[in-house]
Amino acid sequence: MSTLLVMLLCVMAFAGLALATSRQQRELFGRALSPAATCGLRASGWLGLLIALGLLVAGRGWAAGLVCYSGCTSLAAALVYLGLIIQARRTTPH
Amino acid sequence: MSTAKGMRPPSRGVRQKMTGLHTWTGLLAGWLLYAMFLTGTVSYFKEEISQWMRPELRPAQIAPDLPAIAQRTADTLALIAAGSPGWSMLLPTSRNPVVSAFWRDRDHADQPRRHGGRPFQTALFDPDTGKTLSARDTLGGEFFYRFHFQFYGLPVLWGRWLAGLCAMFMLVAIISGVIVHKKIFIDFFTFRWGKGQRSWLDAHNALSVFGLPFHFMITYSGLILLMALYMPWGARTGLRTPMQQAALDTQLSAYIRPGQPAHVAAPLAPMDAMVRLARQRWGSAEGLRITVTRPGDAAARVAVARGDTRRVSTSPQYLLFDGATGELLQVHDHVGAAAETRGVMAALHLGRFSDMPLRWLYFLISLGGTAMVGTGLVMWTVKRRASLPDPHLPHFGFRLVERLNISSIAGLSIAMTSYLWSNRLLPAAMAQRADAEDKVFFAAWGLSLLYAICRPARRAWIELLWTASALLALLPLLNAITTNRPLWHSLIIGDRVFAGFDLSLWAFAALHAMLAARAGRHPLRAASRAAAPARSSPVGQP
Repeated sequence: MSTLLVMLLCVMAFAGLALATSRQQRELFGRALSPAATCGLRASGWLGLLIALGLLVAGRGWAAGLVCYSGCTSLAAALVYLGLIIQARRTTPH
Repeated sequence: MSTAKGMRPPSRGVRQKMTGLHTWTGLLAGWLLYAMFLTGTVSYFKEEISQWMRPELRPAQIAPDLPAIAQRTADTLALIAAGSPGWSMLLPTSRNPVVSAFWRDRDHADQPRRHGGRPFQTALFDPDTGKTLSARDTLGGEFFYRFHFQFYGLPVLWGRWLAGLCAMFMLVAIISGVIVHKKIFIDFFTFRWGKGQRSWLDAHNALSVFGLPFHFMITYSGLILLMALYMPWGARTGLRTPMQQAALDTQLSAYIRPGQPAHVAAPLAPMDAMVRLARQRWGSAEGLRITVTRPGDAAARVAVARGDTRRVSTSPQYLLFDGATGELLQVHDHVGAAAETRGVMAALHLGRFSDMPLRWLYFLISLGGTAMVGTGLVMWTVKRRASLPDPHLPHFGFRLVERLNISSIAGLSIAMTSYLWSNRLLPAAMAQRADAEDKVFFAAWGLSLLYAICRPARRAWIELLWTASALLALLPLLNAITTNRPLWHSLIIGDRVFAGFDLSLWAFAALHAMLAARAGRHPLRAASRAAAPARSSPVGQP
């Protein structure tokens, strides 16, 4: 259960990081966001990843926590990536 | 891994050389790597596969009574392995319902233990009765596990060397791949749909980058696991006397070598007391292994070793008892720094410490690694197809790669599923049954290669992928017909292993159907695209 929560946090964090890239901003909003918004998204993304690491290490100890963290971040990044593809396909159907 | 300098290409020369290196190491080792990756991936559920393949056995218990089970099995072994210089048993866990044991033949009593020709007998035991098990003869998940680092049909050592060579190629491909990939961070979330080769590259990059920590770890630690085989010279040079070699052994494993017998008969002391002492020390640690040397002799020794669950290390921790008196002689609970490093590497690779969520993470990301190798293989043909002088009559090398891709990707799915089919269809009492199951695996793989050679490439992709999908989808039905543990029954009684297995088969069937449908949708470039949705496989599973 706690792993699932951390997973969710990682997905949100990577979503923030994705929205902080100019390519995704153009794709999703049609324009670049303000530098402040971009910076905020990026900062909250990294913060989310840090909190996730803290939660896992607190819950599982350093050894298994780091392993689980690596797994969660990999899978979360893949999920966000997939979400972005689905979103792009929906808005511009080929 | 440093990628920041990607902003300013250092020199075209280096990157181009790395591209060549990446392409050719990836291609040459790719077919075997794909098989190693996929069979290794499913091995994270080795125990669950074994349970599914022995449906006669009742499900694993959460907390088996280990001391009593150890005693019962030891009593049986005293009879059937009488005169053996030593035996070893692995107690049941919450994932494995049976006791498995092996013992040395008395005829080979004085041969040193080696990786090669094994004068060993093995058996499974019922934890309730301590008697040898009458379940169907199968290797279960052990088959995929063994295959992924030593293959079959080759002498074991050759197989391991081959696997090591592939792993080394993989390591080269990973590092050169990182150098080739200029914009890891800029293109982190980039996917360009419907752009042919560009889309393939994006998918391959995403699969590689997201799982990069795992891919690097699994490749490197895989090499470390067999380092004594690949680089034996240090140990050979430094450790010359048997004493020194024995000291190395105690750093690496909890197996103990049989000492000289006293030739005085003495029954083994109660084993349950030893197991109780071990459990006191390590709590509810699972996967206890008991090794006995010179059983029945006054010089007997018993080692009760801690399992690899609940700790990220496989370094040996064990209690050594006098087998005749039951007295605790030694406590081994730590090893040197180098051995501990190796133990951690091995644990990271094997993932035995994982609980279920972590195990699924291992599985899914490793599946992503499989797709990474698969997309890499297919990309080789996609890239070259555009520049073929005559697309209808490609040169021999192109056709060779194309056919090998089809049979190593689509064919392997068919072979692995056929292996599971044979487990349900072969008569339970058949002689050499486990061997027959293995043969079905290789026969199915060989047939898919023949099929891939005989058919036009695109048709072969589509038809073999549909075949795999059908085999996967029908397997839960076959299970329902041939066992008394059909899916609805598993769901009702909450049998997670059987229900999870059947549902995963359907998930994989759906994945293969998606691949097949995509391969069929684009008539022109379909053959090269057939594996496109493999990109989604890391998240396409439950």
